Amino acid sequence: MTMLRPLKLTALFIGASAQHELAYRANFWVSLLNSALNFGTGLLGVIVLFEQVESVRGWEFAQTLAVLGVYMTVSALRGLFISPSLDSLAGMDGEIWRGEFDFTLLRPVDTQFVASVRHWRLFSLVDLLLGFVVLGVAVTQLALPMTLAHVIGFVLTLLISGMLLYAILLAFASLTFWSPGFLFGWVFDGLFQMARYPVGLYPGVLRLVLTWIVPVGVITTVPARALSGDLPPALLAGSFALSVAAVLGASVLFRTGLRRYASASS
Amino acid sequence: MSNPQIVVSNLSKTYRVPQRPPGFWAAVRSMARRVTQDVPAVCDVSFTIEAGEMVGFLGPNGAGKTTALKMLAGLLHPTSGTATVDGFVPWEREAAYLKRISMVLGNKSQLMWDISPLDTFRVLAEIYRVPPAEFRTTVDELAALLDMGELLTKPTRNLSLGERMKCELVAALLHRPAVMFLDEPTLGLDVSMQRRLRAFIAEYNRRTGATVILTSHYMADVAELCPRVLLIHHGQLLYDGALRGLGERLAPFKLIRLTLDAGNGRSPEPDALLPPGAEIVARENGGLTLRVPRAGTPDLTARLLSALPVIDLSVEDPPIDAVIDQIYQEGAV
Amino acid sequence: MTNHRGGWALIQATWLSWMQYRSFFFLLAFSWMIGPLIYLLVWSTAAGGGTVGGFSRGEFVAYYLILILVNQLTISQTTWTMGELIHNGQLNRLLLYPMSPVYNTLASEFAGKAVYMLFVVPVSGGLALLLRPELHLTLANGLAFLPALALAWALSFTWGYWISLLAFWTTRADALLTVEYSLLFLLAGQVAPVALLPDALQVVAKLLPYRYMISFPVEVITGQLDGAGLLTGFALQIGWLVVALAIYRFLWRRGVRRYTAIGG
Repeated sequence: MTMLRPLKLTALFIGASAQHELAYRANFWVSLLNSALNFGTGLLGVIVLFEQVESVRGWEFAQTLAVLGVYMTVSALRGLFISPSLDSLAGMDGEIWRGEFDFTLLRPVDTQFVASVRHWRLFSLVDLLLGFVVLGVAVTQLALPMTLAHVIGFVLTLLISGMLLYAILLAFASLTFWSPGFLFGWVFDGLFQMARYPVGLYPGVLRLVLTWIVPVGVITTVPARALSGDLPPALLAGSFALSVAAVLGASVLFRTGLRRYASASS
Repeated sequence: MSNPQIVVSNLSKTYRVPQRPPGFWAAVRSMARRVTQDVPAVCDVSFTIEAGEMVGFLGPNGAGKTTALKMLAGLLHPTSGTATVDGFVPWEREAAYLKRISMVLGNKSQLMWDISPLDTFRVLAEIYRVPPAEFRTTVDELAALLDMGELLTKPTRNLSLGERMKCELVAALLHRPAVMFLDEPTLGLDVSMQRRLRAFIAEYNRRTGATVILTSHYMADVAELCPRVLLIHHGQLLYDGALRGLGERLAPFKLIRLTLDAGNGRSPEPDALLPPGAEIVARENGGLTLRVPRAGTPDLTARLLSALPVIDLSVEDPPIDAVIDQIYQEGAV
Repeated sequence: MTNHRGGWALIQATWLSWMQYRSFFFLLAFSWMIGPLIYLLVWSTAAGGGTVGGFSRGEFVAYYLILILVNQLTISQTTWTMGELIHNGQLNRLLLYPMSPVYNTLASEFAGKAVYMLFVVPVSGGLALLLRPELHLTLANGLAFLPALALAWALSFTWGYWISLLAFWTTRADALLTVEYSLLFLLAGQVAPVALLPDALQVVAKLLPYRYMISFPVEVITGQLDGAGLLTGFALQIGWLVVALAIYRFLWRRGVRRYTAIGG
């Protein structure tokens, strides 16, 4: 029974969010426009670059496009429920910002669970689709044989990236408990944007930061490598371990912050 | 007497409100063809106000009082009719006119949130071109009148609602306007603060001769401050005159409250004593409230005193709220 | 109606207010910097030891660092500093003052940009030390830069202002804004210097106003333009400014008329 409850709750959350989204029809068209423009400008960015050069530090058009595709796909996953949920807690005009977090604290459900899956933006599925389109183009450009092992490896790395993304966002959201006015999510946004391009493109120090400190580089680059068949098992295992550790670490951080908040608020 | 400051003539304002019927197909249709409804807010209102008067606009929510006020302040222009204030047409919003008026909106602040009220005052002084010496005297005077002490230098966000309202009033008066429009100025304030603000407004009017036009839900505001009221309901001017006259005209009754000595043996039924038109409106332990036509009051009072074991007796005007409420219900005077 | 004293007092008071939230505004400035910074890194890496499209590594660094500064100075905020006021009724308060409401928006503009630059200037300076830009500055280019920058600011402000006035008629100008942001990203020198855009896009970029809001002054000071390029550039910049002013005046008169008819 208790195993099913989170699933039931999630289904309820999805239903509620869907109703909300459907109630605002104008939003649909604006969102569509937004997605189309993001898709177009993202693509054009890569195209314009590779009109001028053949490769940048070993990265060519198709592989860079693969990174962009992964970026768009992972962003879509983020936009599907991770961001909407965590932003409603820790973002601008969120519960902590407005001092209304107590209502959530009172609910007889695990706070981390609620804060993570509470709000869904189903339109992000369109972005997910567009991400797959870019990936598809990249794959055809790469002209590689897609074996089953390939695809499985790729899907695994995507899942790992999803977990890693969740962990980082959760950690950033947790920091809000210590410093309520500061929008840590925006710092992440800036760093995550850099993951549009292969981490290898960036100069030394930045590359290290984006790989080890705020591992956004791992999030997009590893699946892209998996797509082009360049995925040593050690990398796969290592990324998996990293993402599990990250999720556990971020959860600890979140719960610590929660305790602190509960004891500090008047 | 022959040259009033404010002249309003057949002023009307009708809003054209878009209709958004529910349902998908209705929404689609409304994209092609706008369906609007005309909502009259002010209908053919005329009045004049002399300089230095204190006038109250009374009326229920949506009666048109705020609309009328906003037209006089130049924030709205009418559908038809004319108005002049000090010779200016308000909705032309000439700089010279804007410098002569001031508006306090009960639920909206003009103080900048993160700096002290004094800093906001300095900005306003520059906007209205108040000379520095005059600025200082005015601030000191008003702060003294309102007993403001340290308030002026604390950031606005740290002030309580009452303290903020005091600062709002000062802000509105820095440029010594000739006409003040007060829209629900005591909204949300506690009773003692309301009284203090009222006293201040009355004193300010007395000292400077500024014309004050006030709208308020709180009967006490109007009763205490405004010798003259304009009763507006459904956009129409139903009454223009003294508040007391309103009561007298609309409810030519008085209330007699009696406290009777229950222990005393004799207590004939008061009903028998009542003249036509009088009735008992309340009966509690040892007490009665009677509603009596004005004319018959002295006579009936005498008879009650002699016939009943009266411990206490008072003669009152019906509460003005009840009178006005009755008008709102009946929609007419 | 003009009221310069009031306007200046308002700028100072607004700056005082905003400085109390400087960590928020610095974060905002950081967010705006990220885009150009990414392309700085990508293009400078692409150039490596040689050149790409005529730009060396150091020249890309210089171009983008200056772009970051110019972008910060010209970025449009009027959606919040004017559009919002129309929506939440605060415009009424401004209409009561003997001062044109533009002053209020300008106060937010100057005060805000002053706060942002407190962050952007040192950070750009630091990046310059790290990344070693290469700028071949001539007196002529330097002198031409100033009017180009001033006009870029004026164009960006006026253009953003008239768009914010659409709030008089609709609560949903967001579709238009989305398109604007994309056009700015593509055609105003961010995704690549205009000179490196594919031909078709380059032509469009040089005709539309977006380049003249950000990229043009940067191109001037980095010496990308010859005499003819400078002249046509200025002509188009001024031309678009005139257009923006005309649209603003047209919309403002009708907008205020409508606002005072409907009641904010």
